[in-house]
Amino acid sequence: MSSTSNAMKFTLRIWRQKGPKDSGKLVDYKVDDIIPEMSFLEMLDVLNEKLAAEGKDPVAFDSDCREGICGTCGLVINGIAHGPLAGTTTCGLRMRHFRSGDVITIEPFRADSFPIIKDLVVDRTAFDRIVQAGGYVSFNTGSAPDANSVLVSKDASHDSMDAATCIGCGACVAACPNASAHLFTGAKVYQFAKIPQGQPERDQRVLNMITTHDKEGFGDCSNHGECEAVCPKQINIKTIAQMRRDYLVASLRT
Amino acid sequence: MNLATAAQSSIGRKLISGLTGLLLVGFVIGHLTGNFLLLAGPEAFNNYAYFLEHLFHGAGLIIAEIGLIVLFLSHAWSGFQVWNNKWNARKKNYEVPGDAGGKSKKSVSSTTMLWSGVLLLAFVVWHVAQFKFGIIDTGNRAVMVDGVEMRNLYGIVVDTFAQPLWTGIYVIIMVMLGFHLWHGAWSAFQSMGLANDLYLPTITKVAHFLSIVLAVGFVALPTSIFVFSNHFKAESDKYMQQYGTNETSGDMIYRTVSGLMSAEKGA
Amino acid sequence: MPYELIMGDTELDSKVPDGPIDQKWTLYKQNAKLVLPANKRKYTIIIVGTGLAGASAAATLGELGYKVKSFCIHDSARRAHSVAALGGINAAKNYQNDGDSVWRLFYDTVKGGDFRAREANVHRLAEVSLNIIDQAAAQGVPFAREYGGTLANRSFGGAQVSRTFYARGQTGQQLLYGAYGSFSRQVHEKNVTLYNNREMLDLVVKDGKARGIITRNLITGEVERHAGHAVLLCTGGYGTIFYLSTNAVNSNGTAAWRCHKRGAFFANPCYTQIHPTCIPQAGDFQSKLTLMSESLRNDGRVWVPKKKGDDRHPNDIPDEERDYYLERRYPAFGNLVPRDIASRAAKKACDEGYGVGPTKRAVYLDFKSAIQRMGEDAVRERYGNLFEMYEEITGEDPYKVPMRIYPASHYTMGGLWVDYNLMTTIPGLHCLGEANFSDHGSNRLGASALMQGLSDGYFVIPYTLGNYLAQHQPHDELTTDTPEFEAAEKNVADNLKKLMEIGGERTPQDYHRELGKIVWNYVGMSRDEEGLKKAITDIRELRKDFWSNLKVTGVNEEFNKNLEFAGRVADYLELAELMAIDALFREESCGGHFREEYKTEAGEARRNDEDFCYVAAWEWNGDPTKPKLNKENLTFENVKLAQRSYK
Repeated sequence: MSSTSNAMKFTLRIWRQKGPKDSGKLVDYKVDDIIPEMSFLEMLDVLNEKLAAEGKDPVAFDSDCREGICGTCGLVINGIAHGPLAGTTTCGLRMRHFRSGDVITIEPFRADSFPIIKDLVVDRTAFDRIVQAGGYVSFNTGSAPDANSVLVSKDASHDSMDAATCIGCGACVAACPNASAHLFTGAKVYQFAKIPQGQPERDQRVLNMITTHDKEGFGDCSNHGECEAVCPKQINIKTIAQMRRDYLVASLRT
Repeated sequence: MNLATAAQSSIGRKLISGLTGLLLVGFVIGHLTGNFLLLAGPEAFNNYAYFLEHLFHGAGLIIAEIGLIVLFLSHAWSGFQVWNNKWNARKKNYEVPGDAGGKSKKSVSSTTMLWSGVLLLAFVVWHVAQFKFGIIDTGNRAVMVDGVEMRNLYGIVVDTFAQPLWTGIYVIIMVMLGFHLWHGAWSAFQSMGLANDLYLPTITKVAHFLSIVLAVGFVALPTSIFVFSNHFKAESDKYMQQYGTNETSGDMIYRTVSGLMSAEKGA
Repeated sequence: MPYELIMGDTELDSKVPDGPIDQKWTLYKQNAKLVLPANKRKYTIIIVGTGLAGASAAATLGELGYKVKSFCIHDSARRAHSVAALGGINAAKNYQNDGDSVWRLFYDTVKGGDFRAREANVHRLAEVSLNIIDQAAAQGVPFAREYGGTLANRSFGGAQVSRTFYARGQTGQQLLYGAYGSFSRQVHEKNVTLYNNREMLDLVVKDGKARGIITRNLITGEVERHAGHAVLLCTGGYGTIFYLSTNAVNSNGTAAWRCHKRGAFFANPCYTQIHPTCIPQAGDFQSKLTLMSESLRNDGRVWVPKKKGDDRHPNDIPDEERDYYLERRYPAFGNLVPRDIASRAAKKACDEGYGVGPTKRAVYLDFKSAIQRMGEDAVRERYGNLFEMYEEITGEDPYKVPMRIYPASHYTMGGLWVDYNLMTTIPGLHCLGEANFSDHGSNRLGASALMQGLSDGYFVIPYTLGNYLAQHQPHDELTTDTPEFEAAEKNVADNLKKLMEIGGERTPQDYHRELGKIVWNYVGMSRDEEGLKKAITDIRELRKDFWSNLKVTGVNEEFNKNLEFAGRVADYLELAELMAIDALFREESCGGHFREEYKTEAGEARRNDEDFCYVAAWEWNGDPTKPKLNKENLTFENVKLAQRSYK
């Protein structure tokens, strides 16, 4: 790649950890010829190709869609999950939000429920298990009534969508000082609490999902609101309040 | 679901924390309001103390005290649980921790709730010991209210806060209270699920305002006593000439305690 | 000529049932053989992929009582690239009372596919579309609604009715999460076992039937054997063969290609879709292109300056100096012409020197009139998230400055050949969703991919798989301790070892980028004989270089992205040649396959129904340079073959 006039350079302090049992440490790397239009991950691609060409082990990080919707990528950049720009995933973050010469520390999402696989890659299957505990409407394929036979108000649908947009990236857990997954769980609970299809299982859903949340070892939510601030989909912590309300009602009722 | 199990879930703990916290805020508001009777003079203040002690023939206070103990302990228990789980949930912290800013409500207040809480709890124990059980004898004499001999609580308070040490300590603690409530008072609503995006901004503003008012109120009393200690002492002396007995408050407590002990022996 | 056509001798039986077109599926279901409910749990079904097709199939088969083993290359089933589909899903509900019907959706799809799809499959798809919306609504998918609470619709390219259901610009995400929810419920019920972080690297064929797969655990590098009574391949398309595409970086054609090498015919590989509305490339470093939903063409107007090389700021160019070329050339459909037409028109404008932006490889998509007509808030309501995405990537505010767009590889209509049962030429191996070739002909209409994936998974495979098992596959005891498994596992392990041991200089990404350029330039939006032959030569050379100069860092026994990519690029280096060969021997233009030599005077695609009204199903012949062509002739009994016109 040719050097361009607006090329930027950075010192990257990246968490390297060989495997789940390794203790890991921060290692410094230099990159230059970074242009402002690059995404953060493309900058890491550049670093990795450089490392590979030198025969060194590239930095393991995960990503897939690179357009902010699959929830695969997720790095803690200078202490902030998904980096300094609000409402963005790591893949959507462009380098123009940094200044040439910056030292950038890159760490994995840290939580004991998200064990580190290698370097910056963590295992987030705990989220799947929370969903498996009840994050759905139970019915068998084929038994659905005509779609318009159940009316859903525009507002309710909108509200539900606001929560349903969660991509399950885990930034809420990474950012939470308590490593709680209440925003993730709350979003799912909220999504179904707002629409008629979610009502039959509403009580059982919130009880089971919270039981699994706790069993997976996530922390308690003490309302710091860091989750909302880093959430790439800007899911509101009102979903957590709703989940607590539902949980209380469900505990009293069942 | 079994309520005991529910109470121990990540949601149950915070529900308890929020509910007890809010009730404690209510208590603190009441306490401050009552304390302002100090400004109305010794008679009003001591009569208020008399009123509380004899509410429902004395049962009122005992019930309230038991209630408060339960509130404090459950609040502390839930707070400790949250703190403890936090360490289990993330054993290795970030090398470079950061704050997201923006919409985040994280603050020095929110991240030090346990420590401000521990301090406040220790203070409450001391405060009760100091003023209810009078473990520091300020040498004040007892008074007669409504034909009953009582400690001159007004005098004790005035003599205590005439000293810079006590005023200083109380001011620090009361700032800490405001600090605890800065996060705690709005957070309680969120923890109980009594918030949504419509109400939460207002709840937060009211809560922040309240935490400032409470802290300022509680700071104002000891500092004004300290600053105007001559005036308060004069008020106290005037009052003692009319209602004072010869017994000191310390004697009174000694007599009560030994009376209780001999009564126990007799039984 | 670098290549000569080798004909195969396989009679391809599409197994389309008899009867009138609108009765075929009903009759099929009535006559299909059933598996006794108590016997279903004795069957193990392997499903590879957890996108719309894979997740819906796993959920539905799990509900029916089959034991399902589900495999995905991600950490979670929710991450499959179906999640990124933006605009919507078609269904012939006619909720808008605008004259839609199953027939019309069927017709539009056949026509949109430029008459290169199998009629019966498409009709079934149109019929089943009704059930999909019911299913998704019942799952709680938060579709857009009218104030009265009913479902809202928007219109999409290639249709004159409003039949597209949507959930903001995240329809694929919401439909996938719906399927993922049902899937998760079956995992909870223990009917489905999820094997995450697994890549399928070979198919195990025993006694002529697909009986298992070999996977690599992407975390530990372990090569594993999995046996089943049938295998369902739901692994999506091969759009990343262009390197830059709107697909995810992990999307790949490896599973399908390895099945091809085990005997599954690969149909119409040259039918690839280039999506007209993507954000233009900004530099060499770029890892992917971002799609702006086609729904933008509902309200956005496409234009270029009338003057070549006009460098003025778009807002300074007055209306009379703008060429709204789609509206001009296609007055009936205007900006809503099908994707292939819109893409080629953009390429033509840029080739002729009317392109805009720093690279001059872009056209404008303008919302000025929409904002004037319905107000900025209404535009924000419909497209807010897309506008934000655009602004974040380009740094320009599309409410004020027209968007710049350019076509990019998006979808592949080609894929493994399947019959009406969705079964490939290997008995027991079924192929669903984008991975198969069946329903979109040579061009897919917008909002039809989601429909097809879910149709296959929820409503087709449950019947056709039962029919296969009941007739051809007893629920025998499973074992991986057979010579076939051993051979397949060895094949995989040897291949991995070979990749690791080349010890050359160039990274897999480097090869992938170069391959992508070849394919984009010569097997992209428009093709000609000379270019295709050059592509074949270049691909062969690159492949040779790859196997002698590849460098893969690390070891197999760990999380090793480079090794993963190396295997995928190796397969693409073979598939790319097949694409070029297929394009070379399809001497006509149809849908996404446009040959410069075969066009009308107006520059539109000219089909040759006389000679090419067939599916080109390629057979692996032991060497990527010598594939064998088998033909499935397409017969159109219900629609009249006509030149596609959107004027």
